[in-house]
Amino acid sequence: MTLNFLIAPDFSPEHFAGWHMLNTTLQKRSGTQLHLLTPTSAAEQAAFLAQDKADIVYANPFDAAHMVRTLGYLAFARPAKRFDEMVIACAAESAVQKVEDLKPGCRIAVTDNKDIKLIGQRLLEPADIGPADIAWVIVESYQAAARLAIKQEVDAAFFLAESFASLSRMTRSQIRPLVESAIHDISHVVLAHPRMAAQLPALSAALLTLQSDAAGQAVLDALGMSDGFEAITQEDAEFMIDLMDTLLD
Amino acid sequence: MGLPDMIRPPLPAREVRLRYTDASARTVYCTQVEVPFPEGRLIVSRTDLQGIITHANDAFIEMSGYERADLIGAPQHILRHPDMPKAAFKDLWETVARGDKWHGYVKNLRKDGSHYWVYASVVPNVRGGVITGYTSVRRKPSRTRVAEAAALYEQWIQQEAASS
Repeated sequence: MTLNFLIAPDFSPEHFAGWHMLNTTLQKRSGTQLHLLTPTSAAEQAAFLAQDKADIVYANPFDAAHMVRTLGYLAFARPAKRFDEMVIACAAESAVQKVEDLKPGCRIAVTDNKDIKLIGQRLLEPADIGPADIAWVIVESYQAAARLAIKQEVDAAFFLAESFASLSRMTRSQIRPLVESAIHDISHVVLAHPRMAAQLPALSAALLTLQSDAAGQAVLDALGMSDGFEAITQEDAEFMIDLMDTLLD
Repeated sequence: MGLPDMIRPPLPAREVRLRYTDASARTVYCTQVEVPFPEGRLIVSRTDLQGIITHANDAFIEMSGYERADLIGAPQHILRHPDMPKAAFKDLWETVARGDKWHGYVKNLRKDGSHYWVYASVVPNVRGGVITGYTSVRRKPSRTRVAEAAALYEQWIQQEAASS
């Protein structure tokens, strides 16, 4: 029996090979056949879920809420010491010095990562700016968001903090962070569908022990997750979902 | 057992005897000092059904001015500022006990008598269909909304004082 391993579409392109390495390594170490699903958009991921095709999911925290609470997925792991944080940045030469300098009607570049958009909206509240006050400029990538910010075609741009940090030195020299989240309680999680309960112990053990040898560590490094994965309980996941629920409005 | 009285701070401070819904009381001191909400952070805590703090993140500890050991096991009202009307917290507890989410602007009292404003959201922790506790998340508020809330709360407190 082959299980489908779905990866949320918000990973950095440079880690694409790392996910294939992880898939191969987990297959070998758990003795479970795995087929990697790498949807390129939230819509494509939703289609996989609607077809009930995902047995294991590396889920972003907001999608995890639906999968755990509505679809009954079980949370069993998350990346260690790696949280989902975001950055709001503007052009280095912009007159905007702090979030409160942004005004209703401002133009903000954003990708289709709804987690980042939601956290960013919360960080704009001190400026009395609600979602309806923003002219959203939807872009395909964080690089595109940075270009628009640098050219001041937008007043600010939202970035996944990890992606902001991986922008080229040249790009980062031309943009300036206004605020960076430091929530430390929200992260991606690894979920299992209840129908694969029999295979879960072997898969979980393989995932959680990757750091114990050089080959496993190489896989983690390729994923940009050098600290490995750590076990979480269902209550840990429920707590994170409750926390995110408070951010929805 | 109720909370001990606050220690009088070195700065000029208003002294107030607060009475809580669990029938306990303590003396608190309020200075005029406001501590700004830390940029980019969320203050997170959990309580049990009786409002006893069971979890506090680092931002909660830092902003409260207390040690973690002082907070875990303490009632949530350890942060109650006398400028907050009873009606606001009554609405909060009634809302979450029904299983609904509550939002509101709250002025919190720190251990040293200073205060900080937050926009607070409280959700019930529903496990297996049963409310087992509450999660509260506070974020940086709009100053416009804080000014509106402060004016409203002042009116409510005057009304509460007139009717008591």
